[in-house]
Amino acid sequence: MMNLLRSLFVLAILALSLAADGDAAAQASTRPYRIYAITFRGMTDIERGFTEYFATRRIPVQITWRDLNRDPARMPGFIDEIRATRPDLVYTWGTSVTLGVVGTWDANDAGKYITDIPVVFTLVAAPVLAKIVPDLKSSRRNVTGVYHVAPTEAQIRAMASYRPFKSIGILYTPTEQNSVVVVDEVREVSRRLGFSVIAKPLKLDANKKVTAEGAPEMIRELKAQKVDWLYLPPDSYLGTQAKGVIIPAAMENRLPTFASTEQLMETGALTGLVSRYHSIGQFTAYKAEQILVQKVAPQKIPIETLTRFSLQVRMDVAEALALPPPLPMFNYAELITAPKPAQ
Amino acid sequence: MGTIRVRFILVALVVSFFAVGMAAFLNYFKYKSTIGNIVKSRVLVVGRGIENSIQASMQLGMQFSELSQLAQMMQREKSSDRLVRGIDVFDYSGQVIYSTDRARVGQKVAASWTQAAERSKTTEWTTEATDEFVAGISLRNAFDLTVGFLALRYSRDEVELAAAKAGREILLAAIGSFLGIAIVAPLALIIVIRRFEHDLHALEAAATHLEDRTESTLVTTSAFDTSIGHLRASLRDANKSLDDMRAKLDSAG
Amino acid sequence: MLEKNYLWRIYWRLAGVIMVCVVIALAVVSFFSHRVFDRELVPEVEQKAATVANSVRALLLKATSYGVPFDKLYGVEQTFGEVFEENPEFSYAAVTDLDGNLLFARGKEPQGVRDFFRQPAIIAVGLDPTATWTPSHTGQQYFVSMPIASDKPLGMLHIGIDGKFVDNILLEVMLDVVVVLVVSLFFTLELLNFMAGARLASGLGEFAQQVERMRAGDFTATARIRANDEIGRLLRRIDAAIDHLNVRYEFLVGELEDKMRTATGPRREALRPAMNVLENIRSRLRFGSAPKEAEGDEMNLNRIRAPLFAFILAEEMTRSYLPTYVNQLLVPLWGISPQVVIGLPIMLFMLIVALGQPYLGSWSERVGRRRAMLIGASIATVGFAATALAINLYDLLLWRSLCALGYAMVFVAAQGYVLDRTGQQNRAQGFALFIGAIMVATVCGPSIGGILADNIGFRLSFAVSAVMALTSLLAIARLPKVEVRTNTSQRPSRGPRMREILALLVNKRFMTLTGLAAVPAKVILTGVCFYLVPLYIVSIGNTSAMAGRLLMVYAVMMVLIVPLSASLSDASMRRDRYVSVGLIISGLSGLLLLISDSFLVLFGVVFLLGLGQALSIAAQSALVADHCQEEIRIYGHDAVYGVYRLLERLGNALGPLIASILVIFWGYQGAFIAISAMVLVCGIAFTIATRGLDWQPQPAT
Repeated sequence: MMNLLRSLFVLAILALSLAADGDAAAQASTRPYRIYAITFRGMTDIERGFTEYFATRRIPVQITWRDLNRDPARMPGFIDEIRATRPDLVYTWGTSVTLGVVGTWDANDAGKYITDIPVVFTLVAAPVLAKIVPDLKSSRRNVTGVYHVAPTEAQIRAMASYRPFKSIGILYTPTEQNSVVVVDEVREVSRRLGFSVIAKPLKLDANKKVTAEGAPEMIRELKAQKVDWLYLPPDSYLGTQAKGVIIPAAMENRLPTFASTEQLMETGALTGLVSRYHSIGQFTAYKAEQILVQKVAPQKIPIETLTRFSLQVRMDVAEALALPPPLPMFNYAELITAPKPAQ
Repeated sequence: MGTIRVRFILVALVVSFFAVGMAAFLNYFKYKSTIGNIVKSRVLVVGRGIENSIQASMQLGMQFSELSQLAQMMQREKSSDRLVRGIDVFDYSGQVIYSTDRARVGQKVAASWTQAAERSKTTEWTTEATDEFVAGISLRNAFDLTVGFLALRYSRDEVELAAAKAGREILLAAIGSFLGIAIVAPLALIIVIRRFEHDLHALEAAATHLEDRTESTLVTTSAFDTSIGHLRASLRDANKSLDDMRAKLDSAG
Repeated sequence: MLEKNYLWRIYWRLAGVIMVCVVIALAVVSFFSHRVFDRELVPEVEQKAATVANSVRALLLKATSYGVPFDKLYGVEQTFGEVFEENPEFSYAAVTDLDGNLLFARGKEPQGVRDFFRQPAIIAVGLDPTATWTPSHTGQQYFVSMPIASDKPLGMLHIGIDGKFVDNILLEVMLDVVVVLVVSLFFTLELLNFMAGARLASGLGEFAQQVERMRAGDFTATARIRANDEIGRLLRRIDAAIDHLNVRYEFLVGELEDKMRTATGPRREALRPAMNVLENIRSRLRFGSAPKEAEGDEMNLNRIRAPLFAFILAEEMTRSYLPTYVNQLLVPLWGISPQVVIGLPIMLFMLIVALGQPYLGSWSERVGRRRAMLIGASIATVGFAATALAINLYDLLLWRSLCALGYAMVFVAAQGYVLDRTGQQNRAQGFALFIGAIMVATVCGPSIGGILADNIGFRLSFAVSAVMALTSLLAIARLPKVEVRTNTSQRPSRGPRMREILALLVNKRFMTLTGLAAVPAKVILTGVCFYLVPLYIVSIGNTSAMAGRLLMVYAVMMVLIVPLSASLSDASMRRDRYVSVGLIISGLSGLLLLISDSFLVLFGVVFLLGLGQALSIAAQSALVADHCQEEIRIYGHDAVYGVYRLLERLGNALGPLIASILVIFWGYQGAFIAISAMVLVCGIAFTIATRGLDWQPQPAT
């Protein structure tokens, strides 16, 4: 009896799997999905992860690559091309490309932006702040995507697992809203986890333009105020000054630095919790798959970031500061020994 | 006098058989699951080492299907523990991508493997094949999508031989103590039963003398004294009435 | 009755002696098991420690390969902490340098361990490049030591195994052994009653009856076949005495009549005193043969207990793990949350029992109680066996329906069997026997079932239930084939009519009791005990055996408190108070989870729930008669009670549904709290609704 049931069961499974194989074959014979992709500064690892994902899932896609090359003037041409070719999906890289294609959620004139074709964005640091979406749960329009900054609390916890701390220092650009928001978030986390935060805004010059002048002194002051870490928020201006001014000053004061983005990490910070571009690209492709293959409406797909980030540690810096990573970290951290080439 | 005594002793034997049997059963299965878990977690320690290196490679942007160093590493890990019979890495469809056993590459694993992995609430899962156990780890990528599975096949014998050996000893202990009880319990019970039988005896003795006109010579202190008294009184009363009638009849001639 | 209490005293003494023997035997088994565990497990754990040490060593070497000096490593203790977390049997870990000096360590440091690390034999392992690992032990602590070497020796890694880890493992077994003890106690009493007691009790009962009869002057002879045991012989002696009396009487009467026939005049006068004595005897005493009674009713009544117990036990065994089993066989049903689907088999079961009972009553009357029970037990046996083999949820639902149908048949037929064999005066006693069997089954079933499920798996446990049901089938087959009809017994043999149901559903008084007390009590019972407890316990990583222990706590409370509260509430006649207090205690039970989510709190939850239910359950149904006299007058006793039972049982079916929906929204803890809060509100509402009522208490029916 049992055996008979078992064999019936196996037969049923076989039948099902045959049917499934048939489906895949049928799918392969249909025309590939057409994706129109706009990058900001040429190809990165994100695009590699994006295309590889489709290959491993055996999803046929035909991608038209376009590069803005940091020139907003090219955007109208791309928009026209999208309207003319009507791809199945549009892929946008970074905040400015995304805003150029879809506009903000409260001002997306159908004449100027793409509204009737699903758009998947990637590598937008703060989609809500940039007004691309009103809420991470849903864009409430034909848009979804992936952001790449690790949650602030996750970053703080990563810092604490490297070396526990009582106090952290932050330098940030007061004119960059992105940065100000993160500093507020760090303060909020500090109240919950019980540590102190000393945040110093960079100075503004006579033209009210931010300047790195006086930054080394501020780092010295932070050290004197006994902070255990220097946290580098996702801050564009700070990113340009990190390698030349901030990191050397921190090293001079033997202050470990924690980077919130991969770019900051590349400037020579001790450690940081970053999203690997390759994984971001795969995740973006996964969202695209949901729209193209599973036919899920973009407004029903939440805007998310990775669940697992890469903890990077620069071993030469660790050695110079005599702060080796804790032993468990050797199991999961990405240990960088030589200066890394830019992605 | 036998039947009630036998029945009570029978109850004692049945209950102790149940209790001792259950205790032996519990100990045996506890042993089996403990040793199974010890062996499984030992195998998983090996597995987690492999998982770490797969994760590290994937984080560096390597494709799951092109981890060139993996096969070599798996071979090395397999040879480090004699218990491990083979290590397979298979994708979400169940197709083996890497294996310490080259012939398995490209084949599909049993559907029960992927089902076990899907059912598990954590990334670890276990299943059984005919002659081996399988301990597995689900491989998740950076956005929690399961991209594949790592499975370590290990010998059933290690666990089952050990369990059988312990089982025999526990069984012997159980049989021993059951026999012990079979000897002790009747003796202990007899103390209680004696009291009971004494009461019944008294009752029966009283009953045999029910029709004696004389008061029973037996001095009893049983629980039934009142009842026997009543019984005796009513019989005496009835007999007296009949005696009375007899006398009246006789006197009438 | 002196004799009944006497017998129970004997039982308890016997049970006490048996329990002492069992405890000693269990101690012996545990002692030997401990020895086996110790001897066999330590080498296995050492082997595992070596594997773990290997991976820790690999990590240490990876760190040094990145240029971190061996003695400047950071967070080694953290790694050890992670190791302990995953392997609770390891209690200490250390890294030493080549001279055996402690560099890093974590865990409770065993005495003298520093000296131990410096022993030449241990240090030699560190310097030996070919050494893999060495086991050793100091006192209670076992150690696995391993050299750490890259291109040159660096130091040593030691992992300490807690010598008491075997104790800890066996401590977990002890909990189950305690459960086995409790169950054994109940088994003992049940078996004493079954194997020896049924006869003894009826024998002694008959003896007592005989004494009473004779005291009342009844010396009629009963032509009964006496069993060949102590009591039987005793009764035969009494019979003989009575026969003797009867013969004497007959003879005297015959002689008197003879003489009267032939006598005339003065002779007749002389016989006058004898005549008077006879008159006197005739007025006080009765001789002759007794009217033939229904034979051995009391004894046959007792015989229902064993098969009923075995059958109910089969079902009760599944309580602690059924939802978890369903969870395993789950197939997504479109549009229904899996939480609700898990509750479906329980709901279906309760629904079939609720709706089937009224109709099965008259059916079992038609086909005969014994046959009805045989059919029911057979169906349930098939149901259990098929459940054990179930492929997925769909067929499982079918098999569980069979079990439900069988359960309802056996339950109703057994109830009928008791009704048939009891009159007004001993009906309560008959039902006490019936309920007693069920209660003992609820004590023993879930706990044993949970233990079985954990150890031999769900499917085999269902197979055990099937065997149990089969056993009950054999016991039922031994019941007397003759069906008995006592005309005095009024059987609630028809199902309530739709008209009556509708009329009562809108009746305020009836619904106050049913809707605010009876139904919520059942909802919380099935929702919490049959659905939430098994699932929650497993969801927090505990076992089905633990769920079984929890359910046992509930059942033990019922067994202990119900008889007490029944007699108390009958005596005081303020049954509404008992219902109110019971409901409110039940309602407070789940709120305990607001304090903590530990499973220990769950013991408090089921304790309070058991207490609350036990307080209200007996008073509740008696209250229908008190509360709804008017309705009983209009619709009849049977109809009112029929509707009441129907609604109560629908509450049983509703429990898992409500609980599962609550789980979707608030999780397990939230569901516990919400369902209790609901009962609490009902309890308070019931208290307020019945506060001002004028009571006309009726004796319990």
